[in-house]
Amino acid sequence: MQDWKGHKTAFAAIAAAPMAWLIGFFIIPLAMVWLYSFGRNIGLTEIDISGTFANYARALEPLYLEIFGKSVAVAALTTLICLIIGFPIALAITFAPEKWRPWMLLAIMLPFWTNLLIRTYALITVLRTNGYVNMSLGWFWEQASGLKVLVGLAPLPTWEPLPLLYNNFAVVLGLVYVHLPFMVLPLYAALDRLDKSLIEASLDLGAGHFRTITQIVAPLAGAGIISGVIITFVPALGAYLTPDLMGGPDSQMIANVIERQFKRANDWPFGAALSFLLMYATFMLIALQALRTRKAEARR
Amino acid sequence: MSLLNRSPIAPLEYTRRLWMRAWIGATLFFLYAPLLVLIVFSFNDSKRNIVWRGFTFKYYGKVFENDTLVAALGNSLTIAFLATLVSIVLGTLAAVMLWRFRFPAKAGIEGALSLPIVVPEICMGVAMLVFFARLDWPSDLVWPLNLSAITIAHITFCFPFVTMVVRARLASFNKEQEEAARDLGASEWQTFRDVLLPHMKPGIIAGALLAFTLSLDDFVITFFTSGPNTITFPVKVYSMVRFSVTPEVNAASALLILLTIILTTVALKLQDFTKATA
Amino acid sequence: MDRRISLQEFRANRRSILKTMGAAAIGISFAGALAGCGEKEAAKGSGTGEEPKLNFYNWDTYIGETTLGDFKDTSGIDVNMSLFATNDELFAKLRAGNQGYDVIVPSNDFVERMVKADMLMPLDHAQIPNMKNVDPSFIDVAYDPGRKFSMPYTWLVLGIGYRKSKVKAKPDSWKVIFDSPEYKGRIALLSEAGDMFRLYGKYLGKSVNSLTADDIQKIQAMMIRQKPNVKAFHEDNGQDLLMSGEVDLVLEYNGDIAQVMSEDDDLDFVVPKEGSQLNSDNLCIPKGAKHPKNAHAFINYLLDAEVGKKITETILYPTPNAAAKALMPDSYKNNPVIFPPADRLSKCEYAAYNEKLQPLYEEAFTRVRAA
Repeated sequence: MQDWKGHKTAFAAIAAAPMAWLIGFFIIPLAMVWLYSFGRNIGLTEIDISGTFANYARALEPLYLEIFGKSVAVAALTTLICLIIGFPIALAITFAPEKWRPWMLLAIMLPFWTNLLIRTYALITVLRTNGYVNMSLGWFWEQASGLKVLVGLAPLPTWEPLPLLYNNFAVVLGLVYVHLPFMVLPLYAALDRLDKSLIEASLDLGAGHFRTITQIVAPLAGAGIISGVIITFVPALGAYLTPDLMGGPDSQMIANVIERQFKRANDWPFGAALSFLLMYATFMLIALQALRTRKAEARR
Repeated sequence: MSLLNRSPIAPLEYTRRLWMRAWIGATLFFLYAPLLVLIVFSFNDSKRNIVWRGFTFKYYGKVFENDTLVAALGNSLTIAFLATLVSIVLGTLAAVMLWRFRFPAKAGIEGALSLPIVVPEICMGVAMLVFFARLDWPSDLVWPLNLSAITIAHITFCFPFVTMVVRARLASFNKEQEEAARDLGASEWQTFRDVLLPHMKPGIIAGALLAFTLSLDDFVITFFTSGPNTITFPVKVYSMVRFSVTPEVNAASALLILLTIILTTVALKLQDFTKATA
Repeated sequence: MDRRISLQEFRANRRSILKTMGAAAIGISFAGALAGCGEKEAAKGSGTGEEPKLNFYNWDTYIGETTLGDFKDTSGIDVNMSLFATNDELFAKLRAGNQGYDVIVPSNDFVERMVKADMLMPLDHAQIPNMKNVDPSFIDVAYDPGRKFSMPYTWLVLGIGYRKSKVKAKPDSWKVIFDSPEYKGRIALLSEAGDMFRLYGKYLGKSVNSLTADDIQKIQAMMIRQKPNVKAFHEDNGQDLLMSGEVDLVLEYNGDIAQVMSEDDDLDFVVPKEGSQLNSDNLCIPKGAKHPKNAHAFINYLLDAEVGKKITETILYPTPNAAAKALMPDSYKNNPVIFPPADRLSKCEYAAYNEKLQPLYEEAFTRVRAA
C-alpha cells in the first residue's frame, strides 16, 4: 500500500471523482435528514431542529430493539442460505468453459430484470394455498395414496396444503429469491481466474472436492465471501416489500417500521433516528473492520 | 447427461459433474418457475393474475398501444444504462483508491462508502427529495435531461456496490505484476490499463450487473426524485397495484425478457465475430 | 377486431417503439432523444390564456381510457399524467414543494391534512359549473365544508368481502373478523394502522373520530388477542387474496370487491351493522401549480356527466357524480355492493385527520404486529 503523500497526482486522479460524488450527492443530502433526527415536528410540514435526543431515546425502546434484533436474524438466515446456494453456482460459473460463462451469468441475472413487485406477485402465485407448489405436492400425495390402496393398504389421509405464505418462512424464502444474485456476483468476481494450480495440486494430493473447497477455495475467495455477505445481508436487512407482501401478521421488519414513520405517521424525525441508528451500527462495523485490516498490514 | 460426454471429466470441470448440474438445475428452477407463471399469465384473458380465464394475445397488442407503458420502459432502461455506466467508473476508482493508498481518515471514508448500501430506501428518497428541492433542480426539462435527478440518485446508491465487489476482486491481485510493469518502464496509466484493469474485469462485470439490476428495480428513490414528466416502469407498476396488476404488465415483462436475450445473443455473436476476424 | 389503425396512431406507436428500442439498445440513442423531444405539439390556444399543458398526478388506470385524449380534443390542453402509488407518498413528496403538478387526487383525510398544511389552492367555483352534477350529499362534507379545496372524484366504503360458499352466515358484524376465532386463519385485515383502530372503535360502538388514548390501549389488547386468527395484514390487495381462495373473509373497500365479483359469482360484500368508515378520492390543485386555469377547466371536464360516465365505466367505483350515475346501466346503479343500502351508509363516517392520534395508532399497531 502506498502513502497518498508520495503519489499526490495519482491519488487525486483516482480519488477526486468518487469522493466528490459521495460528498455532493450523498453526504450533503443525507446530512439534512441527519439533522431531522435531532428535531421534532411542529405542525404538519415543519421540523424544528432542537437538538433533542428524544427520537433516539424512543428508537432504543425495547419494542424497536426487538424488531431490530428479529430483522437481523431474518437477514442473517437469508444471507446464510444465499451463501449455501450461491457458492456452488459461483464456482460452476468460474470453472465453466469461457464460451458458456456469459450465458450462465445471464441465466442467473435475467429473472432480476423483471420488476421486483411483479416477481414477488408471481412467487406468491406459485406458493399460495391453491398455488402450483401445493397443487403438484397434492397430486403426488394422491398418487402415493392411490398406490397404497392398490397394494391393499389404507389410503393416506387427505392432503392438507402446506402454508407456504404469510409467515416468517415465506419472508425468508422471498428474501432469498430476491437477494441471490447479490451473493453470486461478488463470489464469481472474486473466484474468477484464480490460481487453478493450487486447486489441482490439492486434488492431486488426494484431498476430496469438499475438502479442497473448504480448505483452498474458500480462503482464496475470502474477500469475495465477505463482500458478498455484506451486500446480501445489508439490503436484506432493509427489505420492506417482501415482508409486507409475503409475511404474516407478525412478520414486520425494521424497514417496515421506518417506512411507516416517513409515510403514514408523518414523523420524519423519528424515522430519521431509526434509519441513522441502522447506519451508525453498520458504519462502525465497517470502519472497525477497516481499522483492523490496516493494523494487520502495518504489523507485517 | 455425463454418459454423452466422450472425454473424461477433468478435476475442475465442475459444470460437468452430476451433483453440480443438479444443484444448478434446482436453483434455476427456483428462479424461473415464478417467471414462467408470469409469462403464462400474460396470455390470460382476465384483468388480473389470479385465475386462468382462457388464452389471448390481446395484452401484447395493448403493450404497444400503451404509450406511457412503452415510455416508462424506455425511461427505466435509459436510467439503468446511464447509472450503470457512471457507477462502474466511480465504483472502480473508489475501489482502487481504497486498495492502493494509505490516507488520513481511511476507515471513516471506507465506512461512509458503505452507507449508501445501508441507508433505508425511504430515508434516502426523502433526503434526495429535500436536496433537489433546495437546489431548485429543474424538473421540466426535455428528455433525457428530465431524468437527471433520478439518474444522479441511482448512481449514488449503485456505485458503492461496484466498489464493494471490485475491492474484493483486487484482494487477489498480485502486486508484483504491477511492479514488474513499472520496472519495464510502463507509465502509471499504462500499468492501470494493461495490468490492473484486466484483473478487475470480472469484478467490474459483476458490479455492472448489480448496478443495472438495482437501478432497474428501484421504486422509492425514483418516486421521490421524479418530476411531472417522468414515469419509470416500477413507478407505473406500483401505481397500478392499487387496483390490480394487469396482464399487460406481464406481457411487457415477457417482452423485456425476450429483448434482453436477443440483445445479449447479438452482443455475444458480435464479440465472437470480432475475435474471429481480429 | 375490425379496426383500422389511423395514421396518427401508427405514428404514435412507431414513435414509442423507437423510443424504447433506442433506449434499450444504446441508452441514449440519438433517434430516441429526437423522438422524445419531437412530441411537443405546436402551441395552440387553450381558451384559458395559459400554455396548453397540464400535469395531472393520479393513480395508474384510475381514469377513463380515452378521457385525456377527449379533453385534448375539446380544449386543446395536453394532459400529462404521472403516477403515484399511495397517499402517504404523495403527501411526503409535496411536503418539500410542488415540482410542477397542477391537479392531484388525494383521499379525504389527506385533503384535510394538506389544507391544514397550507398545501392546496382554494377552488374558484365559478370556473367549475359542473359542480352542479355532484350529488348534494358530497358537497358539505366534514373534511372540506363547502368544497373550498376539493371536488369529489370517487368514494368508497370499507366492509367485509367474503366467499359465500365458505361462511355459515352473512358476516354482518365486525365481530366475525375482529373478535372471534370462528374463521381462524381465513381472515385478512388491512395493514393500515389508523383504519384498523377506527374500525375497531366502530365495533365498540364509538365514532371513528372519538377514540382516546385509553381506547387505543384497549383496542391494542383486542387486536393482539385476535392476531392468531388472522392470516395476513394485506396492503390493500385483499380482493386478490379473496379471489385466489387464500382467505375467505377480507377487510376491503366495496369498489375493489365489486371488481373481483364481476369475475367470481361466489363472492359478496357487506357493510357490517355497526357502520363503517367512508373514504373518498378528490380532485385538488396544489399550491404552486403553474396552470391553475387549465386545472380548473380539467376538473370541470371530469365532472361532466358524459365524461364521468366513461370514467365510471372503466374504474367501476361508486361515483359521487349524480348526473354521471344517472347515465349508467341498472347493473351498476342498483348494485348493492357499489351502492350499499342507505340505512347502513347512514352509520358510516369519514375519518378526520388527527395529528395527535396518528403516531399513537402507528406505535400501537407496531406493538400488535411485534406481539
